Amino acid sequence: MTDEVIFDRGYRRYDGPRLGSAGARRAVVRDGVRRVLGLRRKARRKILPWSLLAIATTLGAVFIGLHFFASQLPVDMASELPRYGELFDFFSWIGILFIALAGPTLLIPDRTQGVLSVYFSRPLTVATYLRAKLTAFLGVTAIIYLAPQLALHLGLAFLAEDGFVGYLGSNLDVLWKVPAVTAGYLVLHGGIVTAISSVVSRTGAAAAIFLGILTAGGSIAARIGLIEGPITRYVTLLALDQHPRIVRDWAFDITTSDYPASQVGFDPWVSVVVILLIAGAGVWWVHRRYRRLA
Amino acid sequence: MTPAPPVVTTKGLTHDYGEVVALENLDVEIPPGVTGLVGANGAGKTTLFRILLGLLHPTEGSVTVLGEDARTEPMAIRGRVGYMPEDQCLPDEQTAADFVAYTAELAGIPPGEARRRSSETLFLVGLEEERFRFLGDFSTGMRQRVKLAQAIVHDPTLVLLDEPASGLDPEGRDQMLELILRLSRFQINVILSSHVLTDIERTSGWVVMLDGGKLIRSGPLASGGDQRSVVAEVLEYAPEVASALRARGYEINVAGPRISVTGDDGSVERAIVEEVAAADAGLVRLVRGASSLEDEFLAGRAR
Repeated sequence: MTDEVIFDRGYRRYDGPRLGSAGARRAVVRDGVRRVLGLRRKARRKILPWSLLAIATTLGAVFIGLHFFASQLPVDMASELPRYGELFDFFSWIGILFIALAGPTLLIPDRTQGVLSVYFSRPLTVATYLRAKLTAFLGVTAIIYLAPQLALHLGLAFLAEDGFVGYLGSNLDVLWKVPAVTAGYLVLHGGIVTAISSVVSRTGAAAAIFLGILTAGGSIAARIGLIEGPITRYVTLLALDQHPRIVRDWAFDITTSDYPASQVGFDPWVSVVVILLIAGAGVWWVHRRYRRLA
Repeated sequence: MTPAPPVVTTKGLTHDYGEVVALENLDVEIPPGVTGLVGANGAGKTTLFRILLGLLHPTEGSVTVLGEDARTEPMAIRGRVGYMPEDQCLPDEQTAADFVAYTAELAGIPPGEARRRSSETLFLVGLEEERFRFLGDFSTGMRQRVKLAQAIVHDPTLVLLDEPASGLDPEGRDQMLELILRLSRFQINVILSSHVLTDIERTSGWVVMLDGGKLIRSGPLASGGDQRSVVAEVLEYAPEVASALRARGYEINVAGPRISVTGDDGSVERAIVEEVAAADAGLVRLVRGASSLEDEFLAGRAR
């Protein structure tokens, strides 16, 4: 016989602090960011998000390299190279792919795997849950848009003839223009992808529908909208992908393309209204849908 | 000595889904301890749980949980209550440790403490070794244990367990019921819903019987059932088996495939097996001392 005993740790009561709704919201945000990036998930969940991040980072580095190379040349090549506004064209497709991944990943598994019944048995309201998911979505997708812009901004400042601080001081407008245009992309695309993800049961299908609406749907709407008629001009507004780019051109005072909505005479502020309307409709729809699910 | 206040009180509780009345004029007081909520599928058990959590509002009547009004203070209630749903509710691509910690955080426990409690609770339910495995790789029994762990990780005063032994093999069921009994020893109040009456008899000190949304009975449960009675559930030829047993001199009650045989000596079980074999019938279940609650439930339904 030995002196060893089996020690049952039993159940430990908890009388420490409880963080309430704010703690729950932070937990949902943290989990959302981890889920989109595949952190604490199986390896295959990391491949797509980290590949897109790697591509964005590489492209950012290439642009800085080009600006550095141009700055070494005797002729002024740097003014021909893409800067903040044009950079969105290079990154927006990566951003759209990332959004097509992030939106469905954040919403669909919770719903299809029945986890909502556990979440909403905690001190967590539908509104708090959705706000937290939205925060996670905006936070993680903004990285794709803002990180290359930040890298470019700092790179240009290092290369500037008037010095690092001088460049930053004379380009303060970038600090609101880039986030504003980024918000345009994220709010519009976020509104669409979350609305789709609230009804579709498979992440791949939701991503495909989102990309289809932006590409094929936009192209069809643009063609119909350009046909002469009393109402058809409004159909051009359904070419959704153009709106963030119109806002981008408006903010940076550049012309990169002739958009369908511009061709039929809509001012850029109409695009701002469309973005806000679609985002608002998306939020309303998702909230309505989840109130029924809770 | 003042009796402990009830954990749940309902007064005139009614809830309908349009034409369908899920709960009708329910007046119940559930005391501390383990309470069994008995009823067939569609009896209103899950609806009652959802009302207790404040996820559904009563069409009429009032509900108080741990002294809080479920209609006006659902957040206060949910912070002190744990819920184990009957259906699938686990994310396949998260580890058990991460998921349980996450649910603790959702109840307001700080992240570091949530991870510690997650490990401790998974140890308690017997999943210490498996806690870093992904939930998608878990067996049904392991998944039920994780569901129980997430329900108790945040130190609730009351846990609502919806069919906790559902889908488990006999050994798994036995272990789950043992875990539930342990909860009561930790001063955690339990309301356990089940349509398996022997589970309720084994774990509960109080029983609430529902049928079609109506209350059949709410009251203490006599422990052990009637030990003189043996219940056999027979596949086909139940009347023939019953007649043969009656001819042997036993006192018999028959309700469909269910035969209740009264007799003190240990020969009753043998006699049943012999007569079932002789009639070429199938024996689904044979249990001593489990008839009281079942009889009561069936009598209540008949009324």
